[in-house]
Amino acid sequence: MSTVESALVDPPVTGGDRPRRGKVLRRLVRAPLALTGLTVLTVAILAALLAPVVAPYPAAQTNFDATFSPPGTPGFLLGTDSLGRDILSRILYGTRASLTVGVLSVLLGLAVGVPLGLAAGYFRALDAVISRLTDLVLAFPFLILAVGLAAIRGASLSNAALAIGIAQVPGIIRVTRSETLRLKGLDYVSAAVAEGASDPWIMGRHILPNAVSVLIVQATVAIPAAILGEAVLSFLGLGIQPPAPSLGTMLSEAQQYIARAPWTAIIPGVAIIVITLAFNLFGDGLRDALDPKGSRR
Amino acid sequence: MRSPRPKTDQPGAEPVTSRRRAAILAGVLLTVTLAACSSVDSGSSGDQRQDDTGQGAQGVKKGGTLNVALSGEPDTLDPTLARSLLSRYVFSAMCQKLYDLDKDATIVPQLAAELPEVSADGKSVTIKLRSGIKFADGTDFDAEAVKMSLERHLTLEESARVSDLGTMESVEASDPTTVTLTLSAPFSPLTAALSDRAGMIMSPKQLEATGSDFGNDPVCVGPFKFAERVPQNSIELVKDPNYYDADKVNLDGIVYRIITDSSIRAANLRSGDADVIDTVGTDDVDQLKADSSLSVLESKSLGYQGVTFNVGNADGVGTPPKPGEEPFAKDKRVRQAFEYAVDREALVKTVFNGLFDSACGPISPVSEFSSDAVQACREHDPAKAKALLKQAGVATPYEFTLLTSNTPASLQFAQALQAVVKEGGFDIKIEPVEFTSLLDLQDQGKYQAVQIGWSGRPDPDGNISTFVATGGSQNVAGYSNESVDALLDQSRQSLDVAERQDLYGQLQAILQDDAPLVYVYRQRNLTGVTKKLSGVQVFPDGILRVAFAGFTK
Amino acid sequence: MLRRLAQSALTLVLASMVVFAGVRALPGDPALALAGEERDPASLAALRAKYGLDDSVWVQYWHYLELSVQGDLGRSVRTNIPVSEMLLSALPVTLELSLLSLMVATLVGVLTGILAAVRRGRPAEWFANGFALMGLSVPNFWLGLMAILYLSVALRLFPASGYTPFFEDPVDNLHHMVLPAVILGTGLAAVIMRQTRSSMLESLSTDYIRTARAKGLDERTVVGVHALRNSLIVVVTIVGLQLGALISGAVVTERIFGLPGFGKLTIDSVFQRDYPVIQAVVLVTATAYIVINLLVDLLYSAIDPRIRVTGEAT
Repeated sequence: MSTVESALVDPPVTGGDRPRRGKVLRRLVRAPLALTGLTVLTVAILAALLAPVVAPYPAAQTNFDATFSPPGTPGFLLGTDSLGRDILSRILYGTRASLTVGVLSVLLGLAVGVPLGLAAGYFRALDAVISRLTDLVLAFPFLILAVGLAAIRGASLSNAALAIGIAQVPGIIRVTRSETLRLKGLDYVSAAVAEGASDPWIMGRHILPNAVSVLIVQATVAIPAAILGEAVLSFLGLGIQPPAPSLGTMLSEAQQYIARAPWTAIIPGVAIIVITLAFNLFGDGLRDALDPKGSRR
Repeated sequence: MRSPRPKTDQPGAEPVTSRRRAAILAGVLLTVTLAACSSVDSGSSGDQRQDDTGQGAQGVKKGGTLNVALSGEPDTLDPTLARSLLSRYVFSAMCQKLYDLDKDATIVPQLAAELPEVSADGKSVTIKLRSGIKFADGTDFDAEAVKMSLERHLTLEESARVSDLGTMESVEASDPTTVTLTLSAPFSPLTAALSDRAGMIMSPKQLEATGSDFGNDPVCVGPFKFAERVPQNSIELVKDPNYYDADKVNLDGIVYRIITDSSIRAANLRSGDADVIDTVGTDDVDQLKADSSLSVLESKSLGYQGVTFNVGNADGVGTPPKPGEEPFAKDKRVRQAFEYAVDREALVKTVFNGLFDSACGPISPVSEFSSDAVQACREHDPAKAKALLKQAGVATPYEFTLLTSNTPASLQFAQALQAVVKEGGFDIKIEPVEFTSLLDLQDQGKYQAVQIGWSGRPDPDGNISTFVATGGSQNVAGYSNESVDALLDQSRQSLDVAERQDLYGQLQAILQDDAPLVYVYRQRNLTGVTKKLSGVQVFPDGILRVAFAGFTK
Repeated sequence: MLRRLAQSALTLVLASMVVFAGVRALPGDPALALAGEERDPASLAALRAKYGLDDSVWVQYWHYLELSVQGDLGRSVRTNIPVSEMLLSALPVTLELSLLSLMVATLVGVLTGILAAVRRGRPAEWFANGFALMGLSVPNFWLGLMAILYLSVALRLFPASGYTPFFEDPVDNLHHMVLPAVILGTGLAAVIMRQTRSSMLESLSTDYIRTARAKGLDERTVVGVHALRNSLIVVVTIVGLQLGALISGAVVTERIFGLPGFGKLTIDSVFQRDYPVIQAVVLVTATAYIVINLLVDLLYSAIDPRIRVTGEAT
């Protein structure tokens, strides 16, 4: 399972200059898997955004006469759950919620992690402090962090995003930091320093833009990890709360009926797999395209 | 830890001087009431279900270890301190008590020799004990031991049994087989209390040796004795050769394993890894019944589940009630409307597969204190609901927040409730919180309505007082009504079943009118058993009784 | 090296403070939560007094430190069992689970990683890649549920849950642990596989290898020797970074399969507001994490002398 922590493992490409933008795009286009991933993602995101328009029923609409209808029942393409709610509609809204948490948490992680990472890489003095903080956060496994947060602040979508975001901050700090360190050593940056350019200007003009590609790759790995993280949290009862649909809550509700109505558990699971797979494929393709070493995968 | 479930004890006894007459009267009343209740219990399709409380062991062989899968972890195995229902399962096999319940929810003697004798003024209770029995460590069971245990229940600092024992003040051991309890005022629920943990007797030798650590190595009188406990995992008991009826015990040992997820518990039963499972999920019942090697026992319970409204709890439980400002708090018509809006039958049918029963009041039809008046109910009538709301001057749909525990079962129920009351003009917002937070919020009065239940106590007083008496320790509704208080006091002091029945009937009328709590359903005890096992029983108190079971030949 | 130790120590102390504060910040009166259904004021007050729940935070912290150093971690407020006993019985379970899943993950991950690197362009590589992708994309709790549904209930191949201590009955123990270990290991295997593959590819194209090949060493030695060294590095790195993930994964896996380990203990104790247990468990986990990371760093520098232990992040 790709967890929030494992999102840190596959190191982004390091060393060497980035290929130019045009080249990146061309490489990307030539990778069929990455394109597939992108396509699926686009469909998923569109479907999620347009859920209110596309979904055949409101997510919370119960139907006591049609509980546990298997997929293919007329009127309910993917069947219904224990309260007679249409699974297809709930998947659409649920994807929306899960994607929201995924994106929000990564944005949070970036918002906090990037500035800290920049600072750590740029200013030696701050590095020590920030590294200790990073170690501290890392000392607590994601789930324990999340459980604690949920217990203290209550379980909700925003708190789930918060917990996942916090768990991602150390990774983002590290990535940003090592990129900053690397870029700082480049000739043209040293030249800018020699010319007397101010620190913020260097950070903003030279370092940050070049670190973007690395961060984008990190994000494409982190988002699916975050989505899985939300699923786990909801499964344990710590994330999005019913009746609000999310792929995780659908799975946790389905757990009790798994023998009687397996589709209620299989379908949301498959949805999660498809989305995270798509993200991973795309992320891989993106990373390969950005790899200065050429067509090595 | 779960929402309190209705799986406990039985109706209280009637300790009257002429015991036999009273017993017969009670028996008759019970039969009559049960018969009457079955037809009165409006709209509860559940009552058509047969109760199956299990049989005594037949055609069994000696030997074998029983595997029981429990729905949660028992807390401490110290009868004075234990608070969870699950620990009572383990106690039933290893720690006998002065009195017990039989399958008809009647109190019968266990370690006592006969039912207690109550003095005319009700302030003195004499109990004759069995003789010639030993604790699992070989110590003799006698009046001194009983005295020691009862005093411990009463005086130990963190004892959870103090309110169970009510007005009991002291215990004397007049001779080796007699104890006399002195009460400050008559207290009819006492015998019922002695048929639960407050009546469990612990080995004096072990108490002296372990003190407050008794729960980690308990020694009592019982068919089995404590062997080992692995935290979070299992509790193991082995046959006790010192037990007075040791030849009636068929099994060599019992292992209680903890499996909190109900579908996995059912899976364990089906795969044979467990021989008995408790609290079968309502969705697993059909599957288990379809398996010819398994059976499901079901029996009515004594508790209830419902919706409590915050009518006056502003500063927390125990503080003087302050009538709320919201329509649901100020105007009882809104609450009555809610009761009309609830379709109990539909709920029980959809959410619980028709396996549970509707409930309109706190006293189960199984209780000997039940009566027609006690089971009075408001039928589902959305039109009436809307009309009442209009009378109360409230715009529909009327919105309020319902706090509920975030366990799958509770959520399920809350969502179904939400859907069902729409027709009656209510729009419920569900707020799921983790169970411990729920307890906190409801106690502090930080809620509008909360969905919660009660496992049920043998004596109806235990099902009502703490919740609706002024200043009751679980009166989270902040409800206060002098007539209710008076009726409860009277009933507590009365030792006459018929009188108490009547009083509770009157009580039900008032409670239903004020409706601080709207009772919705009553769980049934559902237990899954393999047919390779015979002699597993579950009585209305919900306790899983496996001590005298055995594997079939 | 000394600096690294000092840093670890500092982190540890900070972590203990965070844990303590965090536990205190949990809402809900713990006395209430633990009182269950028997909630009369007298016994609630007694509970509070017994656990010093009314003292100030600093007093409680100091008291806690004092006792911990002596090895007394308190008792579970719920079952009254000494916390140290609970930890000791939970630890072997999680340790075994982690070890077994690590073994599974390493075996599968390294082998498929090498396969993918060596058989570039051939179907084997696609298969290996696909496997890795699936491992990264499938929620392991869902996999667990499916496994129970099909392998335990339908086919009766494995028990659906439960645990027997190893020394009591090794065969039964392994029988119970197979499914959880495999489920927990799949995610990790995917990650290991990818890492192995990329570092194999990288090193296979270095001068060192070209020289070896030119010298006439057979392919198998080249790959074997190299694969071994690389995989060691990879596994060590991954263990350090993935420990947190492993623990998180263990929590859910233990929940699903009913294994009485650390993860389950953590979640249950938080839900029950069992303060002493929460504190102990989270602290031990954090400590283990910090210590193991330290060890990994040291090991890393031992295996690959090119990397010095500087205390900086990779």
